[in-house]
Amino acid sequence: MLDSKLPPVIDELKSIVGQQYVLTSPEDLVAYSYDATFTSARPNLVALPANTQEVSEVLKVANREVIPVVPRGMGSGLAAGSIPFGGGIALPLTRMDRLLDIDYDNMMVTAEAGIITSELADAVAREGYFYPPDPSSDHYSTLGGNVACNAGGAHCLKYGITGDYVTALEVVLADGRIMRVGGKATKNVTGYDLVHLLVGSEGTLAVITEVTVRFIAAPKSERTAEAVFPRLADAGKAINAVLSSGVGPAMLEIMDETAIKSVEDYLHLGLPLDVEAILIIQTDGDEADVVRGIETVVEVCRQNGAREVRVAATPEESEELWRARHSISGSLGRIRPNKLGEDITVPHSAVPEMIARIKEISARWDLPIVIFGHAGDGNLHPNILFDKRDAEESKRVESAVGDLFRAAVEVGGSLSGEHGVGVLKRPYLEMAVGPVAVEMQKRIKQAWDPKNILNPGKIFSPT
Amino acid sequence: MTTDKVETPARTAGAVADELYLKCIRCGECLSVCPVYRETRIETLSPRGKVALYRAIGEGDLEVSQVYASRLYTCLMCEACREVCPSGVELDVILNQVRADLAHSGLMPDSLRRLSETVVAAGNISGEDNAQRLGWTANLESKPVGLDHGGQAEVAYFVGCVSSLFPASYSIPQSLVQIFEQAGVNYALMGNDEHCCGYPLLLNGEAERALEMARYNVEAVRATGATRVVMACPSCYHMWKHTYPELLDNGELDHLEILHETEILADLAREGRLRFKPWPVTVTYHDSCDLGRKSGIFEAPRDVLRAIPELELVEMADHHENSLCCGGGGNLETYNRELVQSLPRRRLKQAQDAGAKYIVVSCQQCKRTLAGAARRERMRLRVMDLAEVVLRQAEGETDA
Repeated sequence: MLDSKLPPVIDELKSIVGQQYVLTSPEDLVAYSYDATFTSARPNLVALPANTQEVSEVLKVANREVIPVVPRGMGSGLAAGSIPFGGGIALPLTRMDRLLDIDYDNMMVTAEAGIITSELADAVAREGYFYPPDPSSDHYSTLGGNVACNAGGAHCLKYGITGDYVTALEVVLADGRIMRVGGKATKNVTGYDLVHLLVGSEGTLAVITEVTVRFIAAPKSERTAEAVFPRLADAGKAINAVLSSGVGPAMLEIMDETAIKSVEDYLHLGLPLDVEAILIIQTDGDEADVVRGIETVVEVCRQNGAREVRVAATPEESEELWRARHSISGSLGRIRPNKLGEDITVPHSAVPEMIARIKEISARWDLPIVIFGHAGDGNLHPNILFDKRDAEESKRVESAVGDLFRAAVEVGGSLSGEHGVGVLKRPYLEMAVGPVAVEMQKRIKQAWDPKNILNPGKIFSPT
Repeated sequence: MTTDKVETPARTAGAVADELYLKCIRCGECLSVCPVYRETRIETLSPRGKVALYRAIGEGDLEVSQVYASRLYTCLMCEACREVCPSGVELDVILNQVRADLAHSGLMPDSLRRLSETVVAAGNISGEDNAQRLGWTANLESKPVGLDHGGQAEVAYFVGCVSSLFPASYSIPQSLVQIFEQAGVNYALMGNDEHCCGYPLLLNGEAERALEMARYNVEAVRATGATRVVMACPSCYHMWKHTYPELLDNGELDHLEILHETEILADLAREGRLRFKPWPVTVTYHDSCDLGRKSGIFEAPRDVLRAIPELELVEMADHHENSLCCGGGGNLETYNRELVQSLPRRRLKQAQDAGAKYIVVSCQQCKRTLAGAARRERMRLRVMDLAEVVLRQAEGETDA
């Protein structure tokens, strides 16, 4: 049906965004068919708008003709949330990448949705400020995409997630109307909190075109420790011991032996290859607190089975450790051609239990599952490594995923800490939140997007 | 779980090697460093997009076409993506293979085909009579002594097409021969015995034609009697150093030392054969792709700059292995001039942000590209080749 609807509107779309910014060649459709997952589906066309008005005009056409529109940033998503499974118009916001205003008086920055997150963070950092949400992909993902998926990152343990920083949004509704919500007042209970309804809505309620976020004063000092654990279970225990020690680390990350080997193969940092886990822990704040804090971290890790704890001597050494951590996900292609990266989040007291269960599931389905992630906030990234060309193995992956999600829910956790539901976690949504919560979400979707054109089929099935 | 259709074995369009694309898990890291993507923000032109197209051909989901060719030729071959790829995808290997297949099947874009024909017919990239290669010597005060080497030279200076034939670059070989003469280096010039190094042919996917060039040039150097050969052009250097031995595959270069100007200049400075006058300016050094990332020469040029008293050397946001291509690489200027004109802006901005007044390069192509853009953008930045800087600051023997 789409095949007959689209050709007549191509010229109309070209007149909106410009001839060269409507892409229809098979080559271009292939390039907009994927994100950072193993799935793909081609759109019927790609439209690259330059401003909010153009987004609005595109949506008016799509809504009139009932053509799906799938908004997209840089395609670094890990839940297949921006893949156009039902075809339609792929709408990358990447050309809308201007930094509009840095308001130092209110400590807020406003940018178009397509700005690369690290470019915004760097802009405020140049003046001594700090925008904390730092997904590993912050230099290849967009602020709008971060908001749409409520992205987290290593710093979120201490500083909170993307949604905690968003104060205002400009969005385009399904029918093309432009709406501004929120503002620069730090307290606002004037009606429903639409800003935070849109945060994490994965492009299903509106297209985010402009974002205002808070920033804070940058910590004056920081230290990073690398604690090496011969036994993964000990690392799990050490996480809780550090968190209850009163230190309040800025970041507390875990990588298991497969993650260590994979990233060492890429970066050659001299990471130990004969251990089951490394914890990377950072303290930040005033110099004296930071030093005292990292000393406590070192002590606590030693008491809990660390073979060696090393504090990075220079900022460069510290940066290397974080680069290793950020590179794990991408380096996994060295081991198997495909990975299914989950981001279950459990109460941090349940991290050791969850790690044990992941190991069981890995053994049960005979699949390598790499464990790394934001251990401090219980947000783990078990990555199942496989080859999707092997149909039998792919079936086992499905079974293992189901088990992972069930285990996470059983220990009191959630399916996703920061990637979103997209399509990959859709079958498990009801298990996680219950039928009533799913029903209420469907009603919200119905109210905002009655023709179901905005990223249809994401989060929950249309029916 | 949603999955793609099950892959079928590779079909057409040359052999698509699945081991080259299977490593790409599509994380997107390469988008953050690709100069073409950073400017256009269009996925099809990104490294990840190119790998996806290659994969789609291999999996039978896409036909080879002119559009496919155009996307895969829209690349600076700067290899920044390869440097940051956590998974170890080698886009350069993919592109070399694909371009060879496209060239053989007649799908090389016309502008690039014309470039290839010119190089093969004239022996140089401009298409002029190869005898014009010594045009740059005409307005020197004295004839370069390297022209009368009598087969007894110590170092052969391989000037390269751009410096030989584009007047805006003449000052690079002019500077270098004057430095050699001041420092007492016994060098040889090969004039019209020199041919294009073959790099443009290799980039176009024509390794066999590049091999012909290698043969000419190796013979020309042999005739000088030199045991060392030096280039100011990083692309010529990369060809000689890394590609010629592979193409020739006979060990005949084993006894020839292949050097870049920056290495000779650093040696001369270290040995005290070059001394410098103070130059109180803030300078940044731009690593060219072929010399830096692809050949690993980062410190030699910086050592020379550090040897100049009062010069302050600052780094740009992207430097050393992560240097940002000026935009002049990979034959892209021939293929898509409009795109290439928009690329250097980001690099110039980085130099400005670093507080530099001068960008020093050691590549005539980087100099052309960056200087041209600085002029168009009206940015107050001067671009100089390291050889030009050295000649300007060298203390002549009378001053010593």
